[in-house]
Amino acid sequence: MDFALDDEQALIAQTVRRFVDKDVRAWAADADRAGAAPPRLTAVAGDLGFFLDAVPEAAGGLLDGPYSHLRRALRGVELGRGCAGMAALLETNVEPALAVGRWGSAAAQAALFASLAAGGLATTARDARGTLELSASADGLRISGKLGPLPALGVASHVLLLARADDEPVVALVDVAAGRREALVPSGWRAGAWGTLALEAAAVPAAMVLARGDAAAAASAEILTWYKTSLAARAAGVAVAAMAHARTYATERVQFGQPIGRFESLLRLRDDADTGAAAVRLMALHAGWLADRIKDGDGASRAAAHDAASRARVLAGDVVDRATVDAVQILGGYGFVNDYPVEKLMRDARAFAQLLGDERFDRILDLRAQEA
Amino acid sequence: MDIFHDNPMLAGVRQMLGAFARQQIRPIAAHHDREESMPWALMKMAQGFGMTQTAVVDGRKALTGKDEDEGDAKKPKSQARLGVAGSEELAYGCAGICLAIGGSGLAASPVARMGTEEQKQEFRRLLKGEDEHGHIKVAAMALSEPATGSDISGLATTARPDGDHFVIDGHKQWITNGASAAVYVVWANTDPSAGRAGVRGFLVARGTPGLVPGRKETKLGIRASETAQVHFEGCRVHKDMMLGIGQSSEGLGDTKKMLDSTRPMVGAQAVGIARAAFDYLVERVQGGTMHGTPLAHHQRVAFELAEMEMEIQAARALVHKAAWMADHHLDNVRMASIAKAYGAKVAQDVTSRALTLLGEEALEPGHPVEKWYRDAKIYDIFEGTGQIQRRIIARSIFGVNPT
Ligand SMILES: Cc1cc2nc3c(=O)[nH]c(=O)nc-3n(C[C@H](O)[C@H](O)[C@H](O)COP(=O)(O)OP(=O)(O)OC[C@H]3O[C@@H](n4cnc5c(N)ncnc54)[C@H](O)[C@@H]3O)c2cc1C
Repeated sequence: MDFALDDEQALIAQTVRRFVDKDVRAWAADADRAGAAPPRLTAVAGDLGFFLDAVPEAAGGLLDGPYSHLRRALRGVELGRGCAGMAALLETNVEPALAVGRWGSAAAQAALFASLAAGGLATTARDARGTLELSASADGLRISGKLGPLPALGVASHVLLLARADDEPVVALVDVAAGRREALVPSGWRAGAWGTLALEAAAVPAAMVLARGDAAAAASAEILTWYKTSLAARAAGVAVAAMAHARTYATERVQFGQPIGRFESLLRLRDDADTGAAAVRLMALHAGWLADRIKDGDGASRAAAHDAASRARVLAGDVVDRATVDAVQILGGYGFVNDYPVEKLMRDARAFAQLLGDERFDRILDLRAQEA
Repeated sequence: MDIFHDNPMLAGVRQMLGAFARQQIRPIAAHHDREESMPWALMKMAQGFGMTQTAVVDGRKALTGKDEDEGDAKKPKSQARLGVAGSEELAYGCAGICLAIGGSGLAASPVARMGTEEQKQEFRRLLKGEDEHGHIKVAAMALSEPATGSDISGLATTARPDGDHFVIDGHKQWITNGASAAVYVVWANTDPSAGRAGVRGFLVARGTPGLVPGRKETKLGIRASETAQVHFEGCRVHKDMMLGIGQSSEGLGDTKKMLDSTRPMVGAQAVGIARAAFDYLVERVQGGTMHGTPLAHHQRVAFELAEMEMEIQAARALVHKAAWMADHHLDNVRMASIAKAYGAKVAQDVTSRALTLLGEEALEPGHPVEKWYRDAKIYDIFEGTGQIQRRIIARSIFGVNPT
């Protein structure tokens, strides 16, 4: 086993870290206040290969060969250190582009890739509780219900939807024009161009249905593996950032005649957060590594990767919540006001455990089904 | 113990303020959170219902027309228990609005405890009527400073004697009602050579030259309650406005007593937030399904709520015990810290777990549970942080301050 990064991985981590330290962190507070990413994010990140890294070269993208989820997890940790909202925008195209590239019809590929190549965004939705109404026919799907709130949905042209129709899994590419979109700015990831999409018996043509039945179950597991791995990696970055701020503050702030960072109770908070973040980072990298090794038609490799990603996500949700809450605690009154960055991080932490639904619940239901 | 059922007065307060919270506070809570504005109209209405800004100074008299202490000073009171029962209900509506309605109590508490009759009169006079915006008048208690929060022995604000006056200089940080207050209770050191013993509280009226209300903070939560800096620049205050004048003062010890008396109420507010999230979740679970099966049929969900209910009940029992001890003139320092610290922990845990269970729907802007999650955090910070409460509890066990 080798835990060292190869040259290419190290270069990616380093490049993204530089971008984050120079630009993203500098923009984060203003973007949070404004509830929008700065317009120059698109150009600067685009130059670094974001947005189109999962779109095949032939379709105007940058993907030449297999996509590496391990590398994506490495960059995710760095992005999380910068701004979770902007990170969501930078990562949002990956799942739709990879899924459509892999399972989409020529029509689906043409539609999505043309939009992404022209600077568009896409996002991913999962009907976690089965509350959407879907019916399937030879002509495609009819969908009623509300998607979101989801990051990027406020501006996206397409949604990659994972759901069930007539009790069968289905994966489809939904054109946002099929519904009524509402852009929103929630409390966390405020730069993330969030939105909802209301669908009323919206028609999704058969060519936009990527998979149904067992094929859709397999595709969903793989798509969720990618997404959860990336979420976990970014969450580790947010936790690291929160505690980095807390550590700096705690060395400077003096109460009772000593820097507060020397009080054992605060060291304990920091150490637990750092331990958690280190664990989540490794779990995310491992999940990414497994995702890169999923073999077509090999259910076991897919299940192992999904399980690793899901575990990483469960822990990530807990760790990032605790780390950011504790960072606010370490800053005391200053932590509660927005002159300091940690209250934003606390708001940002929540979506990691809430997007895609309650991961623990899913795991329990999966285990019960497997062991029945 | 008469926590709820066999004390008609507590039950009455709960019922009245619970209805007020649901009917008046809840509908406007999201707005004031979003706008970061004080609910002045509601505060006026609350004043009309007896929730006055001087309630703590007036004691029971305002409610019943009779002072509890009349006759026998040793007789058990009910003020602390009324305070916790009422605080829980108001914070159930919205903790920020609860603090907007009750924030003056922080200033009123040392006035009630240490003020002379004249000072109490002055405090009441300054809070009478309305200000130039037609708002009711509120008070602020200014203890914390930019460099001094937990360790108040490091206060840098000074009150230099000058004839019949004291001249106050210094900066105060994170002061509730700090920008709008009509009267401030300011803590300053009258004799730096005396250290902690030199710290005294002063009543300072708005408009006093040298009193400069400062910048209002933008906050994570309790946004309906104003928090601001306050500056004192050569601010002259008559010596008659020094609290505890003519009595022996414990200096800084007075401020600690002030905090001991308000801690159970603060813990009760945290319980109110936890209960709000719990009730929301119960309703949501009752109507919700997971791929067709009712959510309440799943242990993952139902046991989580059972756990929350245990924690909420325990936290409530603790705040009522701390208040009961205060009402019975028993030393409740340890219990007040336990109640405050545990209430804060429960409010944070319950709201965080509730958000995870709710998933994406709670990412909707203005979602009440998300707001309660942000509001809950303050309960581990102000009125003594979670660490400071544990320090007090540990010291009461071992007699030393661990570091
Ligand atoms: C919204 C809001 C409203 C407020 N209202 C008022 C008000 O009306 N009047 C007023 O006077 N003040 C008010 N405060 C100030 C509040 O009381 C202080 O923020 C609080 O006491 C903590 O002080 P601090 O912020 O300076 O944190 P610090 O004391 O600097 O503490 C920073 C961290 O160090 C920890 N720490 C400190 N000492 C120890 C120790 N010995 N052992 C272990 N850990 C330790 C703390 O727990 C905390 O985690 C308010 C604050 C806020 C945020």
